[in-house]
Amino acid sequence: MSTNPRSVSAPARALSFLARLLLLPALLVGVWWWAASGEGSFYLPTPGTVATTFGEVWLSERFLTDALPSIGLLLTGFALAAVLGVGAGVALGLSRTLRDLTEPVLEFLRAVPPPVLVPLLMLLVGLDSTMRVAVIASGCVWPVLLNTIEGVRSVDPVLSDTCRVYRIRGRRRLTTLVLRSASPQIMTGLRQALSIAVILMVISEMFASSSGLGFAVVQFQRGFAIPEMWTGIVLLGLLGVALSLLFGQVEKRVLSWHRGLRATARGG
Amino acid sequence: MNRDIRTHSQEGPDVLDVNGLRKTYASAGRAVEAVHDLTFRLRAGELACLVGPSGCGKTTLLKCVAGLLAPTGGTVAVAGHPVHSPPPDMAVVFQEYGRSLFPWLTVRGNVELPLKEKRLPRARRNALVEEALEAVGLAASASSHPWELSGGMQQRVAIARAIAYEPRVLLMDEPFAAVDAQTRADLEDLVRGLWQRFDMTVLFVTHDIDEAVYLGQRVLVLSSAPTVVQDDIEIDLPEQRDQLTTRSAQRFTELRARVHGQIQQAKRAST
Ligand SMILES: Nc1ncnc2c1ncn2[C@@H]1O[C@H](COP(=O)(O)OP(=O)(O)OP(=O)(O)O)[C@@H](O)[C@H]1O
Ligand SMILES: [Mg+2]
Repeated sequence: MSTNPRSVSAPARALSFLARLLLLPALLVGVWWWAASGEGSFYLPTPGTVATTFGEVWLSERFLTDALPSIGLLLTGFALAAVLGVGAGVALGLSRTLRDLTEPVLEFLRAVPPPVLVPLLMLLVGLDSTMRVAVIASGCVWPVLLNTIEGVRSVDPVLSDTCRVYRIRGRRRLTTLVLRSASPQIMTGLRQALSIAVILMVISEMFASSSGLGFAVVQFQRGFAIPEMWTGIVLLGLLGVALSLLFGQVEKRVLSWHRGLRATARGG
Repeated sequence: MNRDIRTHSQEGPDVLDVNGLRKTYASAGRAVEAVHDLTFRLRAGELACLVGPSGCGKTTLLKCVAGLLAPTGGTVAVAGHPVHSPPPDMAVVFQEYGRSLFPWLTVRGNVELPLKEKRLPRARRNALVEEALEAVGLAASASSHPWELSGGMQQRVAIARAIAYEPRVLLMDEPFAAVDAQTRADLEDLVRGLWQRFDMTVLFVTHDIDEAVYLGQRVLVLSSAPTVVQDDIEIDLPEQRDQLTTRSAQRFTELRARVHGQIQQAKRAST
């Protein structure tokens, strides 16, 4: 480091950090405000209007009836995809035969854009929450599956030999060698899956539901309740940020060894 | 061919029997013959060093003995049983020591892992781990992760893991390549000490002629590829060895010269 960190006091550093963090958001809100306060801004309410409407709309019963169930379905679908993706990914990563057998089918299924599954699943499983979970899970299982396969296949052969020599096999081999080796790729897959899950939750609710966040946004739009519609968008954005932060915390714990390893590899 | 190059006087059954071993790597349309024809035996409790030019197939041989690599021809038997997969009670210190440690486990976790698989009770595991880490001078680093250690320290973790396992056969592939001269001398004495204390058979691969002569009861010299056993030298130095007196002994110098001569010859034969 070129400058002496002691020459700046701690509160001053915290302030400058906060300033850097909030500068761009503040600027954007400013631009929004300026744009919205012009005339003909029926479709673009001011941030102030959106903020007060947000309180009215979401700090009410609606949060329980529309937001919470959506989040529940989102997490259920994501968890299902994680379990299926990691499970199948480990099996496929370990078995060459299984990979050869399933490759063409997987390539096809992966290429199908998940939103087109919505009409199909509507017919097959109906309009209820099972359908929404199915859409979310079937769409976000792919990044988990493919990244897990890749992670499992890239297990270091020396570590693998070490396990063979010390006769480490079965469950212990799976948990101490395979899953841990693949964990960086698995986490990458899960992160991608999480953002896909949010998208699919919204889409499935917009198309085929009578409740939920996506449904609420569409309903507001149809009723020309424009500020309310905006609050739905803001809430979805906040949800995405919260999930991403939460995921970051989990990732930090699971992959602490990986960051340490990479840091030392770069250092020396 | 040379089935028994040299018969050693002592009794004891063969723990390791390598017979006509041949290994050809087939890679991308090209065949590389790494080991041409190797035959040798180790008796129970023997400490043999394996020297040979770089690329002559020492690691390949070790992997075949460990059951990690299927030979193209010939047989390997450990304690009378043909080797098809890693035999029980065998530990290996790999040449790529750094990559053989689990980065997500601590030093203690790495040493303990094989003991868990052996289903030893916790108290016994702890005692073995403590003892092994103490022996390699890493007791203070037990809760570090491997990537927080220097190369030489990582190598010692791999050694500690091998000795904590209490193997009957110990294979070591250039285990002291990354340590400084002083640590190396200490580790040499450690290996001899452990070998004398526990009833182990040790096959020790090294580049270093002095090390081979100092450590071994026997030194096997491999030729360069296509590899055969070029010479099998009995090291008739006294059992009690120490860095100063042994290395300055007249006999040490003679043996050293002989191994050196054989390696030179091995290199010349290939060019
Ligand atoms: N997986 C492999 N595929 C193809 N050829 C290989 C493979 N592994 C080793 N070889 C070749 O076999 C020969 C012997 O390799 P090996 O690693 O056994 O030598 P070594 O005696 O251990 O060398 P060093 O002292 O440098 O460790 C070399 O020519 C090498 O190129
Ligand atoms: Mg080698």
